[in-house]
Amino acid sequence: MKVMGKKINDFIVNVATANGTGSQSSNLIILQSLFEMGVPVSGKNLFPSNISGLPTWFIIRASEEGYQAPGDKTDIQVIMNKDTWINDLEKLEEGSIVVYNEDVRLPVDREDCILLGMPMTKMARKINAKLGKLIANMYYVGALAHLLKIEDWALNRALESQFKGKEKAIQLNLQAINEGKEFAEKNWDYECQYRSEKREKDPNTFLVEGNEAIALGSIYGGISMLSWYPITPSSSVAESVIKWLPELRMKEDGLTCAVIQAEDELAAAGMVLGSGWAGGRGMTCTSGPGISLMSEFIGLFYFSEVPGVIWDVNRVGPSTGLPTRTQQGDLSMLYEASHGDTQHIVLIPGTVDECFEFGWKAFDIAERFQTIVFGFSDLDLGMNRWVTEGFKYPDLPMDRGKIIRNQDELDAIPNYGRYRDVDGDGIAYRTLPGSGIDPILYRGTGHDEDGIYSEDPEVYHSTMARLRKKIDGSRSYLPSPIVREESVKDIGVIFYGSMENTIVEIDDILEETGLSVSTCRVRALPLHNEVEDFVRKHEKTIVLEINRDGQLFGIIRKEFPVDLIPKIHSVSYSDGMPPRARVYAEKILKIINGD
Amino acid sequence: MYLKWKNLKPSVTTGANMVNKDLSFLAVSGDGDTASIGVGQFIHAIRRNLDMVYIVENNGVYGLTKGQYSATVERGSKKKKGATNLQAPIDLCAMAINLGCSFVARSFSGSKKQLTALIKAAMSHRGMAFIDVISPCVTFANNDESYKSYNYVKANDEVLHILDYIPHFSPLEEVDVPEGEFSEVSLFDGSTLRLETLASDHDYTSVVSALSAIHEAEQADRHVTGLLYYDPEVPTATDTLELCETPLVELSEEILRPSLESLDKVNSSFR
Repeated sequence: MKVMGKKINDFIVNVATANGTGSQSSNLIILQSLFEMGVPVSGKNLFPSNISGLPTWFIIRASEEGYQAPGDKTDIQVIMNKDTWINDLEKLEEGSIVVYNEDVRLPVDREDCILLGMPMTKMARKINAKLGKLIANMYYVGALAHLLKIEDWALNRALESQFKGKEKAIQLNLQAINEGKEFAEKNWDYECQYRSEKREKDPNTFLVEGNEAIALGSIYGGISMLSWYPITPSSSVAESVIKWLPELRMKEDGLTCAVIQAEDELAAAGMVLGSGWAGGRGMTCTSGPGISLMSEFIGLFYFSEVPGVIWDVNRVGPSTGLPTRTQQGDLSMLYEASHGDTQHIVLIPGTVDECFEFGWKAFDIAERFQTIVFGFSDLDLGMNRWVTEGFKYPDLPMDRGKIIRNQDELDAIPNYGRYRDVDGDGIAYRTLPGSGIDPILYRGTGHDEDGIYSEDPEVYHSTMARLRKKIDGSRSYLPSPIVREESVKDIGVIFYGSMENTIVEIDDILEETGLSVSTCRVRALPLHNEVEDFVRKHEKTIVLEINRDGQLFGIIRKEFPVDLIPKIHSVSYSDGMPPRARVYAEKILKIINGD
Repeated sequence: MYLKWKNLKPSVTTGANMVNKDLSFLAVSGDGDTASIGVGQFIHAIRRNLDMVYIVENNGVYGLTKGQYSATVERGSKKKKGATNLQAPIDLCAMAINLGCSFVARSFSGSKKQLTALIKAAMSHRGMAFIDVISPCVTFANNDESYKSYNYVKANDEVLHILDYIPHFSPLEEVDVPEGEFSEVSLFDGSTLRLETLASDHDYTSVVSALSAIHEAEQADRHVTGLLYYDPEVPTATDTLELCETPLVELSEEILRPSLESLDKVNSSFR
């Protein structure tokens, strides 16, 4: 067969399998081996909300430009799942390559595609009858290794990293991969136009999930109490903390961090509050439904002024929604969670490095401002693997905030009251229980500066004004936005979080049309003043986000001066998928062209 | 410590206890909280044997919202206004015993001596000490048809034993239990609770005996008071976590933040 124009390190592979068949290992081996070769690669796991049987897709994209979004089309489709077989085939563009398991015995009616069959199940059963179903997935690894010219040493390294030290598993899977490769060489008279090619790989880089980065960050932030209630997609934050604690936080006589699996998210939040009140660094991790349940306590954090950290790894809402799909749908909820007037600090990492950094910083910020601090991630950033050059050690000492530790410190403050603003920044001094110092008054009912119950209108009003001032004061203290500015200021795009992984490609699509596009990645709420400056400087600003209603746009419209609002437009879209660049770029172009 | 937060105490106390196990925790709650809106947290605090004293002021009605029945009101009991309650009650002591609570007592706000001794003993216990205190609501349910009214409880109190608390720091004072039929309960801090037995068949070390006492009283529309159940051997919430000896809040930054070298190792392990 003839070879069309070669495409080096520029392809999209989609693997369709059923959940619970062990395909995740196969997919990660392909991803990891390409990564070992220095190929710029990203992987997206689109998994269902069940344990076994429902369809799963894994998208692997190699892109010399470093594009990490899923892309618009599939170059190589692997089909293993009979339930999605027909549909997966129908969606393909003419000329796509189809690698399929012959043993599924379903028709492959796409004569316009390149059809490459292999009796994967039969071959797998021959080497291990019992594990045949699982090992069958390794044959497509072999098939892809053959097509894409993935090098043997890279496959070996990926296998080792996947099955860490389990020699038997490594040998068995390697045998399957090699058999798959040999079959393809012998039986497929086809040279693939897509191929991988070794690049200089920074030896410092590795792939890691955002959730594990958050966990490590919190451990280096001195977390002393983790409470959690299992929920997808946040559970692996807690599980990673549990995994790393014995190595990183074991003193001679025991652990220096307590972990409690709570009875529900409300209790988990209560435990964070209790530990913060007692002077510890408490944290919990959850997803949107958990935040809904925690909302009662979130108000108590805010009003009684207790530090604590809650990570929200966003999944698709509302209600149970799509538990295993991604979205930025919780932002406005986090910002104003709980009843009454509230406003909360939200840290928004866009990379795994920032997941680590904000993981430790969150505690410092919570204690500095004596309030709840949210970390806001999502399933895409949290559960997929992203590149880092290695986590950077905290460059600041811990900030424990305004804590009075002894009687002398207490005496130095004239007319001390738990809620009296001595420094004019809205942040009062607190004492800790067990310190032997007298006033340990915290209150969730209306209170005066001494923490005494009060229904006095003036007292309530001034308490609320001080709380607003306190949180307002965090704007310049929180991580500032990352601004990439063009000299010609046609279009400014404001975005946040995991959209970072798609923005370069969106930017390229927009600039192909001759536009000059600056970008501003928001990294915290309340918004830094630089965001407003960014809007001022640009002709038109787009607020780009992965939800239906334009939640950040709503916050901006509420907080920015009225004269700026006509320049600001919302592009928000959510279908549960990680953002595909073209979908968002086209929506932006529509607004720019005034359609 | 006195927690002012309603409905939320067990979880808040759990968090505080985790980071500072040297603190003493005393929470006072109501039956509306403990048997309804906060019942989940109550159950799980017991299950963990959280090291705290949990006192319920139990009157069978919601007072602050003006006299609705709570979940602990007895079947057949009637408050001042409204219909007789026909739903089954939640007996907090029976529930606590079934969940393995390590110290369970019931008392009456009108029995000052008994209640004082029980609260002191509860403070001397390590683990969850639960005291259900029948506390008549004088505004909404102090009528004679209410099983938790002052007169009704006075007339129907099945007292298990006369109690005296002997603190470890002054063993001779406060002892006014007469010589004769008594047993002594040794508490964690070295103090003693002396029981002069009235109901001779009650064995506070037996779940079966404790539950029988509760259910027999319930069938006779009476209240049983005293130390119902005690087991000093249950591990506490912090015992099971393999924490270091120093309370976590007292650890320095050097201990809470692992070293730069350790992070290099973490990074290398991924490469």
